[in-house]
This record gives sequence, C-alpha cells and structure tokens, in this order.
Amino acid sequence: MSKKVGPSRRAMLSVGLAGAATVASPGILRLTAKAENAPIKIGMPLALTGALGSVGQQLKRGAELYAKLQNAKGGILGRPIELLIEDTAGNPANCVRKAQEMVERQNCRLFTGITLSSEALAVVPKLAEWDAVFMSSDNGDGRLTAESFVPNFFRANISGPMGTRAVSLYLRSGKAQKFYALGLDYAWGHNSVQVFEDEVKKSKKDFLGKVFAPTGTKDYSSYITKIRQSGADAVFLVLQGDDNNAFLSQSQQYRLSEKVRLLTEIVDLASIRAVGDAALGLIGSSRYSFTYDYPLNNEFVALWKKEHDGAVPDTFEGEQWQAMKVLEAGITKAGGIEAAKLRPALEDIEIESVKGKVHIRKCDHQGVQQGFMVEVVKQEGIATPIPKVIATFPGESTTPKCNSMTFDD
Amino acid sequence: MTTLAFLLTESLNALSQAALLFFLGVGLTLIFGLMRIVNFAHGALYMLGAFVGYSLAKGSGNFWVALVGAPLLVGMFGAGFELTVLRRLYRRDAHAFLMVTFGLALVVGEAVRLIWGPDALQVAPPSALAGVVFLLDEPFPVYRLFLVATGIVVAVAIWQFLERSKLGLLIRATSQNADMASALGVDVKRIRSSVFGIGCALAALGGVLAAPLVTASNGMAATVIIDAFVIVIIGGMGSFLGSLIGALLVGFVQVFGNYYLPDLALAFMYLVMLAVLVVRPGGLLGKET
Repeated sequence: MSKKVGPSRRAMLSVGLAGAATVASPGILRLTAKAENAPIKIGMPLALTGALGSVGQQLKRGAELYAKLQNAKGGILGRPIELLIEDTAGNPANCVRKAQEMVERQNCRLFTGITLSSEALAVVPKLAEWDAVFMSSDNGDGRLTAESFVPNFFRANISGPMGTRAVSLYLRSGKAQKFYALGLDYAWGHNSVQVFEDEVKKSKKDFLGKVFAPTGTKDYSSYITKIRQSGADAVFLVLQGDDNNAFLSQSQQYRLSEKVRLLTEIVDLASIRAVGDAALGLIGSSRYSFTYDYPLNNEFVALWKKEHDGAVPDTFEGEQWQAMKVLEAGITKAGGIEAAKLRPALEDIEIESVKGKVHIRKCDHQGVQQGFMVEVVKQEGIATPIPKVIATFPGESTTPKCNSMTFDD
Repeated sequence: MTTLAFLLTESLNALSQAALLFFLGVGLTLIFGLMRIVNFAHGALYMLGAFVGYSLAKGSGNFWVALVGAPLLVGMFGAGFELTVLRRLYRRDAHAFLMVTFGLALVVGEAVRLIWGPDALQVAPPSALAGVVFLLDEPFPVYRLFLVATGIVVAVAIWQFLERSKLGLLIRATSQNADMASALGVDVKRIRSSVFGIGCALAALGGVLAAPLVTASNGMAATVIIDAFVIVIIGGMGSFLGSLIGALLVGFVQVFGNYYLPDLALAFMYLVMLAVLVVRPGGLLGKET
C-alpha cells in the first residue's frame, strides 16, 4: 500500500508546489515564456573508456568544439546547445540505461555519438517510446539503415558497407586476386566482412577465408599466422581502437605487409599516431581526414588547430562535426527538436559539409556522401604518417540500395 | 609453412605471451601469499608501467631506460602506497582491501588519462630488437624472442631470490606465519612494503614490455586484470611455481585456441580454469582451504 501512496503524493506535492510558485512569482512566468529558449539537450552516452575509448573521446571532442562555437554564435534557433555526456564503457546495456536516464531525468530528446554499433542496435528499438531522434556519427553496422531501421534513426556518417564498398570498387581495378578478412567479433566486424566477402565474390576474385577476434585481443600472432598461411595477396581488416593498434604493431614486427597487402575498412588518424610507421602502406577507405581538400574542411581544420594547439582533427572528430551540422540544418528547418517535426525536416535534407555534399535520403535516412580511399604515406616535414587521398567515388556508387546492405553490380 | 615451423613459431608466441602474463601473475600471487590481499589495482599498475615507460623512453630516447626505470618508479609508488594506506588496514577484514585497491585502480586509471591523454601512445621496440629472424624459413620477430628470454631470466631470478636470499627467506617465513616471524624478530612491516613494491614493479615490467606489442593505452588495464586473476586461480593463490604454470597454460591455450577455434577464443581460458578448479579447488599448487 505505502508503495502506491509514495509517488502519487510526491507528484501531487510537486504539482502543487509548481502551481504555487507560478502564482506567487512573476519570475516563473518569464521562465515559462522562455521555454522556447531552453537549451537544446543532446545526449551522448559514449564509450569513453574500454577498448574503443579513443573513438568515444574523439566523438566527445568533435561535439564539444561544435557546441562551443555554435553557442558563441547564439546556439540553434537562439537556444543554447547543452551536451549531456556519459561513459558507457562500450557496453550496450549501460548505453541503453544511460540514454534512458537522459530521457527521463533531463527530458533529452536528441542523441548522437553512440559509439559501438552494438550499443546503437540496442538503443534504436527504444527511440519511438522515448520520442527521440538519434543522429549516428560513427555507427558502421549496415543493419541500422536496413533490417534494424527505425524512423527516428538517421546516419550522417559513412557506414561499414559504404566503406567496404569503396575498398572493393578500388580493388576491382587492382592486381590482387586472393583475399582474406579479419574482423572484430561483434556487429560491425561481422557486417563489414560479410559485405566484403560478397563484393569479392561478385567481382570474380577469390575469397579465401575469414576470422574474427574478440575486442580487447592483445596477442594477434595466431591471426597473423592464419593470414600468412591463407596465401592471400591482401587481407581486409575491420579493426578499431586498441585492437587495430595491437594488430598493426604486431603485423609490422612480423613483416606481414611484405607478403600480404593490408587493406582496411577504416583508416583512422589516432591509430596512425599510435603505431607510427607500422601504418605505412595501409590502404583503406576513410570516413574523414583532415587532408580532404574542401573549403569547409579547410575552414574546420583551421578552427580545430586554433582550439587544440595546432593539432589536426581525427576521423571521428570530423564525422561528429558533420553529424552536428546535419542535425543543426534539420533543427533550423523544423523550427524545433520534437521528433514529429524534426524527422520530416531531416528527410531529404542536403548540406555542404567538410566532405563535400551530404544528402540524407528519405528512404532509409542514410547520409549519401562521397567515398574516399586513402593510403598512409610519409610526408616531408611531418613525423607521423598521414592518410593521402588516392581515389574518390560518388556517393551513389558507394551507398547500398535503400534499406539494404547490398549493391546491384 | 611446414607443420614443424608452425609448431615452433606458435610455441614461441605462446611462451612470449606467457612471459607477459607471468610478470602480472607472479606479482599478484606474491602479494596475496604474504598479505592475503587481492590487489585489484594490479592491472592499473601494469598500465601505469606502460605509460611511465613511454615517457622515459621518449625523454631519454632509450627503451632500456624505460625498461629499468618504469618498474623502479612504479615499485616505489607501490611500496609508498603500502606504507601510507594499506598498512593501516591489516587489522580490518578483507573487504577493506578490496575497496582500497579497487579505488587505487580507478584513481590510477583517471590519473593516466589526465596526464597522458586518452589516445594510445606508441612505444617502439629498441632498434636492436625490431627485426625478424628466420626460424625454419619463417620470419619471427626478435622482440618476441626477447620477451621469452626476459621471462626466463625473471622467473629464475625470482625463484633464486625467494630460495636463496635472506629477504626471500624472510618473505617465505612471513607468508607461512606472520605472527611467528614477527615474534622471532622479523620486521614484518618492512617485508610487506617490499613485497607490495616488488609485486607492483613486476606488473609495471609487464606493462613496459607489452607496450611495443599493443601500444600504451587506457584500455590495457581492464583487459589484463582478468587474465592475471585466472593465472593466479589456476596456479593456486600465493604459489610462485603455480603462477608460472598458470601463465604457461593460459599462454598456450590462448595462442593455440585462437588458431584452431577462434570462435571460442574467449572461452578457452575459463574452460581451463574451470577444469582445474573441478579437480583441485585450491588451484594446481594451492592449499585446499
């Protein structure tokens, strides 16, 4: 019995208090009138620690710089941006719980930056119930815009299948015939390796085999042995964070790249810095790089350098920046952040971004954008190797069919 | 690759991993044997070793400075922590140690993030160890051979230290019966500080040596502490030889398991632990209490 009484009494009390306060104080009335100027809360339950902590940290920095600069300009629609940042340690259950808390306690209705695809897949089924919009800035798993698609989900970033497709389009003209694949043993790794396998088979080349390593693997020697034994000309890597660093460091110690070409779904600057010359020669698709030569990117890189003592932005800092810009365009067009208004506003929106044009297509909310292939090279005067763009592909050729993860040709 | 070459290189891989695991496990088990403390901060100190090693290597331009300096500094930090904090807790029950060492792990983890930043940092092996040697026509990293050698040297050194030196004798006496040792005039307090310091230094040594393989990163503490516990549980809490056997078992099971049944990579280590515990609940060389 007492359990039932508790909340209702508390609710009554708060309603009563709020009412009394409203009547008593004209100040409150001003506040209510100002509700339109209330902060725009953007929830970011990020993997700030754990094996993918470096990715979460990048997403955080990207969003923070955007919020700082945008708030200095008066925010969006005259409302300041408030980022709600929490650490999930990369655990899907944690992520859902933190997001739920943001919805219930802080009345948050916007999400971005959720780090792992497994976390994103856990969150999307709840979006309708929360009446919240989630703008992905780094989730790779193709299912998020295919079988697991929900209307309140949008993806501003290049997905795993899109990155993989750029690699496979690039390989069609290359000499390598026999391929092997190594992916991280979770949603994104399996998804991208599958797409790669299909692409290789379609282009009538040999797919020799694949293997998956659990996140947090410290010793990659067994996997390196497998790759060497496969007899492949090239290995396709779907690795990230600490695992990527461990693999690249160890494969260099084994001189693996002298025998097998290293291809990767994602070339990430933080990883290049962490492994140094071990990244040289790596060829892969890139989701963002400071080396892209577009006016808006040059502007963004300059802003970033000014803010961060001359450092250049990393992959996910750029991706998060783009996601914020898409979100901003949508909110401005919708005139608010309510899902019912924001959703149609974001559908079919097109903005000029750091990577050229990004068009959020209506059918599955994927941001259609160019695909980039880069090679990690040494440049005069810079100690750390940099990703150099070696090919670009139009968004139409790298984006899968609507609500799917496959490609026609 | 011939079968023989495969077995040889994979066994060496397993030994190199076992060496890294041994540095962790032996420190943990020495500390437990003497003080009945489960040191939850062991993984964090391993990570601290890697980051201190990074700074020393970068500052001096010499990996060997890092290899000696990082364990020394982290060991001193550990001994200092025992002197100032743990010492006050010996009369309390074991929960106090769990809380305090877990707290230390959190503090060290955050401190590393604040001092060195969130990104992984490169620690390159020294140029003398950066190459490959050909074993039965297969290239094998010299650095991994160096890890195996270091593992053997450290294991023999610890064994000789425990068996032959005066301090080693006192450590064994204190871990068998602290009250009796104290009554016979052994300075138990000093022994505890030294052993905690040595344990922490060994963890840091593991961290510095692992850094060229995995880079120095914030995530390294979390992934490694579980392995260390598994080794100690397999070998028997408090047993030096047990931690050596545990490290070898886990090293071989991980390397060969990852090769033959990669889908079960994570489960293997626990299956071995389970099997050992079913047969010998106190661990292979532990006391069944």
